[in-house]
Amino acid sequence: MKSTFRQSMKWLHTWVGLVVVWILFFMFITGTAGYFYKEITRWMEPERPLISPEVSKKQMLHLSQAYLTEHASEAERWRIQLPNSRDGNLRVRWTQAAKEGKRRGKRTHKILNPTTGQEVAELRATGGGFSLYRMHYRLHYMPRLVAYWIVGFCTMLMLIAVITGVIFHKKIFSDFFTFRAKKGLIGWLDIHNVLSVVALPFHFMITYSGLIFFLTTYMVLGFNLSLTDSQQDEFHKQVFPDTLAVEQAEIAQTLAPLTDMYLQTRKYWLEDTLDNVTIKYPNDVNASVNFERLETDITYNHSDEIFFNSNGKLMTVPAREFTPSGRIEDGFISLHEGQFANSVVRWLYLLVGLIGAAMVASGGILWTTKRKPKQDKKPNGADFGYRLVEQLNIGSFVGLPIAIGVYFCANRLLPVGLENRADWEINCLFISWALLLVYPAFRPAISAWLEQLKLAAVIFTFIPVLNFLTTDKHLAITLPIGDWNYAGFDLAMIAIGMSFSFAAYKVKQRIVSQVGNKSITSAVSKASTAKLAQNKGAM
Amino acid sequence: MSYFSDKINFISPRWLVFSRVVAAIFAGYALATTSTLFFGQLLLTSVGKYEAVHIGMLLSFPIYACAAMWVFSVASAQKAWIGLIKLNVILMIFTWLLVQANS
Repeated sequence: MKSTFRQSMKWLHTWVGLVVVWILFFMFITGTAGYFYKEITRWMEPERPLISPEVSKKQMLHLSQAYLTEHASEAERWRIQLPNSRDGNLRVRWTQAAKEGKRRGKRTHKILNPTTGQEVAELRATGGGFSLYRMHYRLHYMPRLVAYWIVGFCTMLMLIAVITGVIFHKKIFSDFFTFRAKKGLIGWLDIHNVLSVVALPFHFMITYSGLIFFLTTYMVLGFNLSLTDSQQDEFHKQVFPDTLAVEQAEIAQTLAPLTDMYLQTRKYWLEDTLDNVTIKYPNDVNASVNFERLETDITYNHSDEIFFNSNGKLMTVPAREFTPSGRIEDGFISLHEGQFANSVVRWLYLLVGLIGAAMVASGGILWTTKRKPKQDKKPNGADFGYRLVEQLNIGSFVGLPIAIGVYFCANRLLPVGLENRADWEINCLFISWALLLVYPAFRPAISAWLEQLKLAAVIFTFIPVLNFLTTDKHLAITLPIGDWNYAGFDLAMIAIGMSFSFAAYKVKQRIVSQVGNKSITSAVSKASTAKLAQNKGAM
Repeated sequence: MSYFSDKINFISPRWLVFSRVVAAIFAGYALATTSTLFFGQLLLTSVGKYEAVHIGMLLSFPIYACAAMWVFSVASAQKAWIGLIKLNVILMIFTWLLVQANS
């Protein structure tokens, strides 16, 4: 394209980045929120009890088994999720046998009161944090495959942007240490560089692992040409072996008490970190019970699982034998999802995720900042393309966070009995985002920035207030009890609101200084014309 | 008529950039596919059929990215097209030879 390789890569980086910057920003923001999707869901279901009282795991397993035997005896699969630090609820799920022509059977999900073993009262219908998380790869309002291909295309361009960014950047590490806190082009360039370099391994990992999530979808041609249909089934079994394949014997047998099996697991696991129990064919002689503890490794670890049969006897199940490449893929996917992360690592994920979003956003702003001086001089005003990029920047980088704030408000404000309530929460998100994308077209760029930043500050600070007004689980209650999951959400909203206020303050300062400069220059020019006139008069 | 022929000027820089974009997307994807087939055959005897295909697929994304970058680094769009087609054909021939050798 250009005279040197490096210049060509710079050109490619600029344009590849510009094409996908707004979708990437959307993916980064919703995906980062996804690292806390359980905590977000918890806030969005205020009917759920606060901290669960101290009940032993043994007692909870006993109650869950009794509940499932009573309500789900016909089910093909049970799952009991014990309360943990991220989600303090006892959850039971079950799957019915698939009806003819259906791929999956009906699935049901209930939250139990850990003391009584009864269902918790109906919750409001909400998409919760999971809907936000799902959007980052599934988008919305479109068929699944279309969304995957759009996301894949953007991710592929992101991969190119990451590689070209590293290539054309000559002094990548020395530049990292030269941060010039200046306004304008140099300031934005340095911000973009620092944000890119500081989390470079994360940016690369998250992009590449995002692609291999849908390996057989994206590389479908090579996959289909290499393997026949039956070979493809075998491929999945070989590369990602399943835990244990059990066949139903169709001979009824009552399952042995889970509590006894639980006591046996205590002999193998020194710490009591049991997380969930899955039971396949619970009322069959071939039933299998899988006790799983909290993940201890990034990749699969065989000692995290213990199996029992229908009589409650320990089963020796050989470890799943991943191929080396399967383990690499498993590792990348695990790093992408961060399921293994404890709370410190989870906050780190949030931090690097936000750095990623900020990197993308600063790249978009850099594009306009660089072209601004030339565009400002155009006699007929700035080009349409330039204005469009400017508007989309404002509408996305500030508009999307506001829309997510609206999503949280909608959760509290929409009537609980509304039909398709969960869908309407999401509609609120996208309607408000659409409005905020259009709004900057009618305002000068700098005013649009300021007004949307102010709106964001107001909305996020308002969310804890709204929570106070509409529920009995507000900061004045959650803080003294020490329910940090719940309080953390409100506190995070306040922190986000304050960040937006700070940004708005900075933009306002700039407007004031610009206006100040202008009035000085105009005063000077007036004075000089006056002087000129005087001189003329004297002559 | 002259208006349209002025507009659709195939040697204008815009069309040449567009031509490169098409080359990067489609010829690049073809290369990602042929390289999957190639690695699937190359590694067949050492790691087995399924893992060989899997490795080929895992490598196809970096290969796709490099192909796209290369398209934009060469002097002309024509060179980019010819280069990618050549590479695709060469990989196909090697794959075919490996199929013969492996069977």
